[in-house]
Amino acid sequence: MKKKAALLLLLVMVCSPSVWARTLVVASDATWPPMEMMDSEKNISGFCPDLVHAIAKAGGFEVEIKNTAWDGIFAGLAAGKYDLIASSVSITEERKRAMIFSDPYFEVKQGVIINSDSGIRSEADLDGKIVGAQIGTTGYFSAKKIKGVTAKSYDEVGLAIEDLYNGRLDAVICDDAVAADYALQNPTYSEKLGLGFMIVPEKPEYLGFAARKGNKDVIELMNKGLKKVRESGEYDVIFNKWFGN
Amino acid sequence: MPQKQVTIDVGDGAAIPSRKDRGLFSAWWLSFIGAVAIICYLCLSQPDPYWRVLKFLPDGILVTFKVTILSILLSLIIGLITGLGRLSRNRTVNLIASTYVEVVRGIPLLVQLFYIYYALGRVELFSNLPPLSAAVMAMAICYGAYMGEVFRAGIESIDKGQTEAARSLGFNRIETMFMVILPQAWRTILPPVGNEFIALLKDSSLVSILAVSDILRRGREFASESFYYFEAFTMVALVYLIITLILSKGVSKMEQRLNYYERD
Repeated sequence: MKKKAALLLLLVMVCSPSVWARTLVVASDATWPPMEMMDSEKNISGFCPDLVHAIAKAGGFEVEIKNTAWDGIFAGLAAGKYDLIASSVSITEERKRAMIFSDPYFEVKQGVIINSDSGIRSEADLDGKIVGAQIGTTGYFSAKKIKGVTAKSYDEVGLAIEDLYNGRLDAVICDDAVAADYALQNPTYSEKLGLGFMIVPEKPEYLGFAARKGNKDVIELMNKGLKKVRESGEYDVIFNKWFGN
Repeated sequence: MPQKQVTIDVGDGAAIPSRKDRGLFSAWWLSFIGAVAIICYLCLSQPDPYWRVLKFLPDGILVTFKVTILSILLSLIIGLITGLGRLSRNRTVNLIASTYVEVVRGIPLLVQLFYIYYALGRVELFSNLPPLSAAVMAMAICYGAYMGEVFRAGIESIDKGQTEAARSLGFNRIETMFMVILPQAWRTILPPVGNEFIALLKDSSLVSILAVSDILRRGREFASESFYYFEAFTMVALVYLIITLILSKGVSKMEQRLNYYERD
C-alpha cells in the first residue's frame, strides 16, 4: 500500500508541471549584451529575457531560461534539450530548413566594430584585413562574404572584441545593438573602439524565437503572447528600458 | 654488462599498441581499417554532407600538424633543460626547474591557453602575439614540464656506474652527461616522448578556443553553418582517430627498434 502511494505521489510530481501550467524551457546564450547577458548576480538579463517573461505572462505559461553556449545551441534544440531558443537568432533561409521560427520580434543590422583610429569606413576598406565574429552568427557569415577578408570564428563575441582591443583583429562584426553596447557603452572598450559602419543588408534581417520542426504549438504560443505584448504597449516599455537612449 | 631495464608508464591515454598485439585482427588494425572504411562508406553513400565536411577539413589538419610539431620540438628543448635542471646539484637551478614543473602541472592546459592568449594579451609585450604562436607557446610550456619529468626519469634510470666510469676516465660532468649518459638514456626516454607526442596531438584540439582554425574549429564552423552537427563531428572524430592511429603505430615501431636488447 505504501509503495503504491509513493508511486502515485511520484507520478503526480512528474506530471504536475505539465498539468497545471505549461513550462517552456528556453535556451539563451547570455553573452550578447544588451540582448541577453549575465548580470553581476549571475541572472540572465537583457532585452530578450524581459520580452520572453512578458510574453509568458501575457500568454499564461511559465518559462525557464537556461544559459546555453551558442556553439551547439541549435544541436541542443534538435536533440530536444529545450523547447525554444530565444537568443537573438536571425531568421535566415538556411536556418528555416532546420527549425521553425516565430514572428520577428526585432530588426537587426550587422555592425562593424573597429579601432577608432583605423579609418575603416566601408566594406572596401576591409580588403586584406582580419575580421572576427562569433561562430555560426550572421555576423560571421557576412564577414566571410566580404571580398578579401580573412574571417575568424570565436566561441563568444566578447573574446573577439578582446582580440580587437588587443590589436590582433582589424574589425569585429555582430548585431548592431551588441556592437553599440561594446563600442559605445562599455567603459573600457569605448575608449579605443568605435562603430565603423553598418553592413547594408540585401533584405532586412529579423530576430525570431526558434523551435524544432513539428513543435508548432510552441511557436503559436509565442506568437500569440508577442502580439499581446505588442498591443498592450509593454513591448515599447521593454524596448525603451534597454535602448531608450 | 648488467642492463637495468626500466619502463616508464605514462597513463594519459595515448594508445601505443602492445608488441604482442600483432596480426591482421589486432585492435590497431581493426580500428584503423574500421575508421577508413566508415569514412569511405559515408563519403560514397552520402556525399552530401559527409564529403563536403571532409573537403572542409584539410587546412584544419595542416594547422593541427603545425601546432603539434612546433610544440613538440619546443617542448623537447624545454623538457631537456628542465630535466637537467631537476637533476642539477645547484640549489637555485634545481628549485627553479622543480617549481616550474609543479606550477605548470597544477594548471589545466585550457586555462593556460586562455591565460597566455587573453590574459597576457593585455600586456604590451604579448599583445601582438599571433594566436598560433600563443597556442604553441602554451602547449610547449605545458608539455615541457611533462617532458622534463620524462627526461629526469630517463637519465636517472642509467646506472650510476656509468657516471663513475666516465668520471674516472677523466670526463668532466657536462661531458659525462652529454657523451655518456644521454646517448644511453635516449632509449628509455624516446617511447614515453612518443607517447607525449600523441597526447599532445589530441590536446591540440584545445587550441580551437583561441580561434585557431584547427580540425575541431573547422568542423564546428561547418556544423554551425549547415546544422549537420552529427555528420561534422563524426568526421572530425574519425580524422583525429586515423591520425592518432598512424602516429601510435609509428611510435610502437620506433619502440621495437630501440628495444634491441630484448628483440624476439
